[in-house]
Amino acid sequence: MKISLSWLKEYIPVTHTVEEIANKVSLTGIESSPVKLGQGLDKLVVGHITSIKPHPDSDHLNVCMVDVGEDEDIQIVCGAPNVANGQYVIVARHGAHLPEGKRIKHGKIRGIESNGMICGLDEIGVPEKYVPEAFQNGIYLFPEAEKPGADALVLLGLTDEMVDLDITPNRADTLGMNGAAWEIGATYNEKPDIKSAELDESKVNGSVDITAEVDDEKLVPDFLLRELKNITVGESPLWMQRRLWNQNIQPVNNVIDSANYVMIEYGQPIQAYDLDKLQESNVVVRNAKSGEKFTLEDKEEKVLSHNDLIVASGSQILGLAGVAGGIDARVTADTKNILLESAVFDGASVRKSAQRHDLRGDASNRYEKGVDNGKVSEALVRAVQLVEQTGNVGSISKEIVGNKTEAKPTVIKGSISHINHLMGLELSSDEIMDIFDRLGFEAKQDGDNVTVTIPTRRYDMSIEADLVEEVIRIYGYENLKGTLPSGMETSGGYSPKREFGNKLRNTLLGQGLDEVINFALLSKAEVKDFNIKETDLTKLLHPMTEDHEYLRTSLVPGLINNVAYNQARNNNDIAIFEQARVFDRPKGEDRPNEVEYISGAVSGNIANDSWNTTSKEVDFYDVKGIVEELLSFTNAKAHFEYVATDQITNLHPGQSALITADGQRVGYIGKLHPSYQKEHNVNDAFVFELNVDELFDLNKRKVQSQAAPKYPSVSRDLAILVGKEVESGQIVNDIFNNGGKYLIDANIFDLYQGSHVKPGHKSLGYHLVFQNPNDTLTDETVEQAFDVIKESLVQKFNVEIR
Amino acid sequence: MSLNDKLKDLRKNGINEAKRAERLQELNDLRVNLLGKKGPITKALRGMKDVPAEERPEIGTLANNVKKDIQLAIEEKMSELNEQMIAKKLEEEKIDVTLPAQSRNIGTRHILKQTIEDIEEFFIGLGYRVDAGHEVEEDHYNFERLNIPKDHPARDMQDTFYLTDELLMRTQTSAQEGRDMESHDFSKGPLKVISPGVVYRRDDDDATHSHQFHQIEGLVVDKNVSMADLKGTLEALCRHVFGPNREIRFRPSYFPFTEPSVEVDVSCFNCNGQGCRICKYTGWIEVLGAGLSHPNVLEMSGIDSTVYSGIAFGLGPERFAMLKYGITDIRDFYLNDVRFLEQFKGVN
Ligand SMILES: [Zn+2]
Repeated sequence: MKISLSWLKEYIPVTHTVEEIANKVSLTGIESSPVKLGQGLDKLVVGHITSIKPHPDSDHLNVCMVDVGEDEDIQIVCGAPNVANGQYVIVARHGAHLPEGKRIKHGKIRGIESNGMICGLDEIGVPEKYVPEAFQNGIYLFPEAEKPGADALVLLGLTDEMVDLDITPNRADTLGMNGAAWEIGATYNEKPDIKSAELDESKVNGSVDITAEVDDEKLVPDFLLRELKNITVGESPLWMQRRLWNQNIQPVNNVIDSANYVMIEYGQPIQAYDLDKLQESNVVVRNAKSGEKFTLEDKEEKVLSHNDLIVASGSQILGLAGVAGGIDARVTADTKNILLESAVFDGASVRKSAQRHDLRGDASNRYEKGVDNGKVSEALVRAVQLVEQTGNVGSISKEIVGNKTEAKPTVIKGSISHINHLMGLELSSDEIMDIFDRLGFEAKQDGDNVTVTIPTRRYDMSIEADLVEEVIRIYGYENLKGTLPSGMETSGGYSPKREFGNKLRNTLLGQGLDEVINFALLSKAEVKDFNIKETDLTKLLHPMTEDHEYLRTSLVPGLINNVAYNQARNNNDIAIFEQARVFDRPKGEDRPNEVEYISGAVSGNIANDSWNTTSKEVDFYDVKGIVEELLSFTNAKAHFEYVATDQITNLHPGQSALITADGQRVGYIGKLHPSYQKEHNVNDAFVFELNVDELFDLNKRKVQSQAAPKYPSVSRDLAILVGKEVESGQIVNDIFNNGGKYLIDANIFDLYQGSHVKPGHKSLGYHLVFQNPNDTLTDETVEQAFDVIKESLVQKFNVEIR
Repeated sequence: MSLNDKLKDLRKNGINEAKRAERLQELNDLRVNLLGKKGPITKALRGMKDVPAEERPEIGTLANNVKKDIQLAIEEKMSELNEQMIAKKLEEEKIDVTLPAQSRNIGTRHILKQTIEDIEEFFIGLGYRVDAGHEVEEDHYNFERLNIPKDHPARDMQDTFYLTDELLMRTQTSAQEGRDMESHDFSKGPLKVISPGVVYRRDDDDATHSHQFHQIEGLVVDKNVSMADLKGTLEALCRHVFGPNREIRFRPSYFPFTEPSVEVDVSCFNCNGQGCRICKYTGWIEVLGAGLSHPNVLEMSGIDSTVYSGIAFGLGPERFAMLKYGITDIRDFYLNDVRFLEQFKGVN
């Protein structure tokens, strides 16, 4: 809410600039920013039209002579439909600056000299929707005679300086001028002078036509009405109108304007009804019937829910409680008798109704956040007083009570020492008591204990911690010296699992893979693409878009998106990984398990053409090397194997493998299937995915140091010819099974399967290394082991030793 | 010719020959030829028997000196030739150091991870545990335990992805507070924990919003923690992240789970508080929200709020990184263009 300084001055002395006040209020209470209206506008004055005649060459233009407070009237051509002789209008003089850089200059309009412009409110900065309806399609007319030549902007409130409070939901007490004056006053140590509203008792009579009733007293703790009879409805005085349009409220007539004015003053919404349009003589606040129809003032029809609270008279719906008035009983120019309502409705109920019908507004905003139930009755009196001030009122009824809840001030008990303790300060009790006094809280001290009575306007206050906040903010956070918690020493750190994950990430970083972070919410298609475990999918109840609807079961779809995104931008050589959670939902359960995965994707060249190298495109074995290095850092007490698979739908059936640890699957590696690649616009790409949680559980190897061998090793090369279908892994396993205790290594150094070998066969070369840690190996020992190896290969795989 | 003269002659010739040599092999040959057992010096000394006995020691000394002198000449020449050879080799092996390297790239940690881990390590140094918590969380922990009951307006501020009526994608890492508080054994000392991780909001993605982003929640619960401790802790953090000369300020704010609540601004690292575009000409940049744990939050975890107090703060790594590195679009973090990623190599 914007707090006009000229209005605020009626409550407290205002001696600082709007910028200073906004800054100070931001630091002590509520985030604020300064607003200065009319910046850059000038030469806008009151003009009095002294004569008017039609433009000779136009059927809609008029030539006006206008008194602008100078010796001679000036001539202005005006096209507004509502211009007439004798009016007091806004004149933009020659050279005037208007909003959006518009400039007024004298000149000729269809041959007739025009020395300025007669303006509408929207042309000088009032947004069109807040301009009174009568002036929306024409010039603005001052309601009363003003001095020609006077500064029009000042008269219209358009040079106001305002502090715009951006309130948090707990500080709705400042959604009224009275509350704002208390808040800003406390900041500057000034108690606001707030006059309470009083009735003209001579007009109050005891008889009433209407009875009021409330169905659910919890939802409507206060519901008060007053009848006003023989009133005149007309345009409000300028002082009231300008304050309203500066609050982004459109002036309508003095009744509705008075109601709105009270809302701005007290923060208490007031509703006005035309008493004569009520169907019955009672007014009931009740829940709507499901499907019941209600027509708003702008004739839009709403179909109500049984959760909507309505104000009704018989079957006639007068309004959606706290949200909007209806068309049936609205106050119009010929209204004679009115009913004014001041009520408190349940915030949550109002919030839901306003949301349901897309009708959030000034009143519902206040109910949602709460209104001061200590001022419901007074606000109603104030509304009566304003209607009386701005029109005639014949008689006023007594207060008609549908429900009334006694406003009880909150009493908070606290202790000076505990308040200080929580702040980390050592303020004297006098200093603390003084702050309570500035805020208008009544505080009593008894030794270390304080009892603080909170005025009803501060319904956000309920506990000692609230007192702490009030004291420290008024004392000033800038005066608080920072310290560090002084309790017992603690040893911080990551969990072992997090340390393990960090280690795995580092092995991939070390191998040149960039780390990425992707979204965990995927489309339906994506989430199915690599759901290798075929876990139940987890879907959001109300997704925003189809792109982010399901919880991922694999990190690979995200990585593929990244490869595609990069390759579309000519970043063709990509090596990336991600470590994050996937969501694995056990059958029949609502809650998915969150499992840490580490996954990578590599595509393009791993070496590029250069002056001394030739390029090399990534292949399966490059990526397998990355994975092997990662696995070697798991410190796993397990044997890892790569088991060929053609069961992973979106991987190449001849270039993919499950990765197992002692036979248990912990991940997979493979080339993307050509059709999947094509569909996702990526070049040849290899991916891997490993379950970090499972690898962590294998992280059990105890390392017992062994001295580096002192005796030399002996090597033998083995060349064999074998059927194509035999995997190298089988050969190596067999070599180790038969190589004896001194065989320490068996590396493949050659693979050939071309025209120089028997059809259906391949030639393999292995380099075997033998070592005895305790002695020099003899040729004889090595030769014996070598023979056993060869013999077994011949028997098992029918190899030909070459 | 006397033996004496013969030896002197041999010395003269030997030294000259050594000086004339052009290759190491010649010098080796010379040594063998002149100084070897079959060489002329040895041969000449066979004539010693003709020398009178009293002259023999003199001749012996001379013969040794001749050998030494020739040896020295050969060695000198050898080292000269060696030096020449090395110089030549060095000249031949000269390369163009401006040619491009054989690259051996190490990958780049994602800038958000770098930002998060920098902050984690700062707090670990102050004795905080790191507890990542759950991304799928119960309404109970994400809202109710944070003093945000079902109809609380604060739920509007955080539009939530629900999985069921009771399960949701956590909207804030504060969701971990309740779990940390209820499981902590206060007899073992204060609770000091940070909870970093991913959170989710029902938001449209644009330059400043993302339906997925990160937060780091910090929480200390002990018998003696105060607003002053909160200020000192966050002052140290902001100086660690944004530079040693930074100041912070607190502004009152509202969060349901802290009372008092504050927004924390850091003095602008770009203009040192003078006012610039980054700080919107205020000299201050809003970086996080914080406060004292609301007594209800402590009590719901079975902690006596008259004895214990807590400080809690929450910050956004995306915001920190955007401020620090001038990133203008939050979506860049999740598009993973490698040119974007790799510019942050080694910044933290
Ligand atoms: Zn700045």
